[in-house]
Amino acid sequence: MSIPTPSRVNLTRRGLFAAGAVVGGSALLSGCLGASPTSNGASNANVALTLQSSLSDPKPKAALEQVVKGYTTYPTTLNTVAIEQFRAQLSTYLTSSNPPDVLTWYAGSVARDYASKGLLLDLSDMWTGNGACAKFSPALKSLSSDANGKQIFVPTNYYWWSVFYRKSAFAEWGVKAPTTWDEFMALCETLKGKGISPLTNGTGSTAWMASGWFDYLDLRINGASYHRELLAGKHSFDSAEVRKVMDTYATLIPYFDPKGRSYTWQEAATPLINKKAGMYLIGAFVTQAFPAADVDDVDFFSVPPINSSVPSAEEAPTDGYFASAATKNAAATKDLLGYLASAKEQQLFIAQSGSSNLPTSSEVDSSGFSALVQKGMKLLASTQEITQFFNRDSSDALQATADAALTKFLDNPTQVATILTDWQTAAKKVWGS
Amino acid sequence: MSVTHDLSRDRGAIREPDDRPPVGRRRRRLSRRVPPVVWLLLLIPFLVETGWVFYPAFNSFQLSFTKWNGVGVAQPVGLRNYTDMLSDPIFATALRNNVFWVVGFGGLSVVAGLGLALALNKPRRGIGIYRSAIYLPMVFSLAVTGLFWRVMYQPDGPVNVVLAAIGINTKEHQWLADPNTALGAILVAAIWRQAGYIMVLYLAGLKGCDPALEEAAAVDGANKWQRFRYIVMPQLKNVNTVIFAVTVIDSLRTFDIVWAMTRGGPYNTTQLLSTYMYQVGFTLVNLGYGSALAVVIFLLAIAFIITYLARATRED
Repeated sequence: MSIPTPSRVNLTRRGLFAAGAVVGGSALLSGCLGASPTSNGASNANVALTLQSSLSDPKPKAALEQVVKGYTTYPTTLNTVAIEQFRAQLSTYLTSSNPPDVLTWYAGSVARDYASKGLLLDLSDMWTGNGACAKFSPALKSLSSDANGKQIFVPTNYYWWSVFYRKSAFAEWGVKAPTTWDEFMALCETLKGKGISPLTNGTGSTAWMASGWFDYLDLRINGASYHRELLAGKHSFDSAEVRKVMDTYATLIPYFDPKGRSYTWQEAATPLINKKAGMYLIGAFVTQAFPAADVDDVDFFSVPPINSSVPSAEEAPTDGYFASAATKNAAATKDLLGYLASAKEQQLFIAQSGSSNLPTSSEVDSSGFSALVQKGMKLLASTQEITQFFNRDSSDALQATADAALTKFLDNPTQVATILTDWQTAAKKVWGS
Repeated sequence: MSVTHDLSRDRGAIREPDDRPPVGRRRRRLSRRVPPVVWLLLLIPFLVETGWVFYPAFNSFQLSFTKWNGVGVAQPVGLRNYTDMLSDPIFATALRNNVFWVVGFGGLSVVAGLGLALALNKPRRGIGIYRSAIYLPMVFSLAVTGLFWRVMYQPDGPVNVVLAAIGINTKEHQWLADPNTALGAILVAAIWRQAGYIMVLYLAGLKGCDPALEEAAAVDGANKWQRFRYIVMPQLKNVNTVIFAVTVIDSLRTFDIVWAMTRGGPYNTTQLLSTYMYQVGFTLVNLGYGSALAVVIFLLAIAFIITYLARATRED
């Protein structure tokens, strides 16, 4: 009696469900389309290329836009994504069914990690014969190779870390750049006596800056090969070697501007610019923070040797591109990579981006570069060993453990024993996972 | 399936001519039947919600029992992510901080908001300016609030300058770099923003209170506190429910202001569950453990809300 007419209701529901599925499905699809890269020159979708870039700072972004605009062989879309989002989504980009063809990123362990999962395009042919990277240095080649010796990365520029200072400030204070560790410590003492903070550092929300000194002290005390092995999990952070590094680090603590604990790396450059602080161990990108008129006043010296029995080493983080193994058109992708790696485009990018980065191609005419950059090139050419930076030589996860351990150490140097034990515990988890 | 279907259709076909109900009943039943267009309108958000909320949420539950870095296949690890939490010192800090945060943020913003609402409830000249001024911080996003307060708290920033001007020598105290003051300093910034919001909610609630009741109580000799406690507060019960829910959810999901001000530092002392989850999940791309943390946050929020709502409805 009271049974309603189920057939009609069912049919309507089913119909509605179908209609809803169509609507919802198309909404989902269009959502996907919106998120996936689309090309502007869609005349031939097979050869349209996508370049996913993490260079979101205004100048490098504009520089890359200009470089890509000059590429006319295949229609290419440049997507620039803020670096934090890029980092978080990189694995999603690479595993998606329609991945970007070319992506900006770092050489070294991160690229190797993705290569080991088969996500990166084999670029070995670009490194032989007439390939775009064939004339790059052997050090760059080994940095761009995966565990099997295949090249999976195209480095296009790199920069160096050193102790930066203002020439005019050193002249005013009547001091000069040190060449030995003792001279360096004496210089710190002299500057402190003049009421100047000898060293500045921004370990507030850019806590990774604390790893700069750790890396360099480890390179100077234990050497580059020990440093690499340490970051790869072959030694303990709780070891006597690391303890020695920390003990030396502790002797520097009184010379740091204490306000640096609240600063970012950019904010920490201000005391250096204003001559309230003397020196800053940082990458060459620090010149971005200087007013244009003062850039010529910037100079640097390499962290002086401590242990004469270890080979000289410098940190030179290398940037560039890799390509997705799932690209629809490998030949076009390599063509774009070749274009980006060419001397002319490297030079254009470096000139436009306003950083003090160095070209990886030796064919770039460096005569137009500033004296600072030329000095940087000489430094890297003369050093025996090159490392990158803590996170690039290990992983972002290990960097997080270093950030916690080192910033805590800078606040409480007397607790070094427990800090190193905790660090090793946290690091073991990273290596074990 | 098709058999039942046919049968029912037959039955309907047979029944229809004879069984026609009287007109009045039929109209009532028709009006009770939901029109197809409503189903359609309900179905679309339901599907969208399923695709974009329920499915990812379900996924997150699943992921919390795996180890996955976004590449390849997630490996099932059972309850390991949850047992790892028990021995994770950062998780312990984050949980402690979250308790501090829920109590501090929830308690102080409600007290401040209620106080402001009571102070600014009575109409008088220029009251609108005060109300707007106090509500103004709410128009900034938490990320902007965080950046703004980061500048305020700089060693040579306005906070220390003002404190020095009124004779409190802070020795350029580094509010955000000192583990003892960092979370408290963030709390102040968060309350500065939230109090105006709570104030507006209470002002709306106070508008709904019957002034005659308060006057009658005054005539009966009730003092100010008694009038507030026994006359005004009971009338604010519904507003309180809303504010409780809003505050608990807001305090458990607090993320942006901490991330903008300290990123969980110095050395993880200001991590909340949300910032730690973000760091683990998205900076370190450890999606299994990150999802497990997200599940914990979800369960905490649900537990709070359900307990409170159950109590509130029982009282009704």
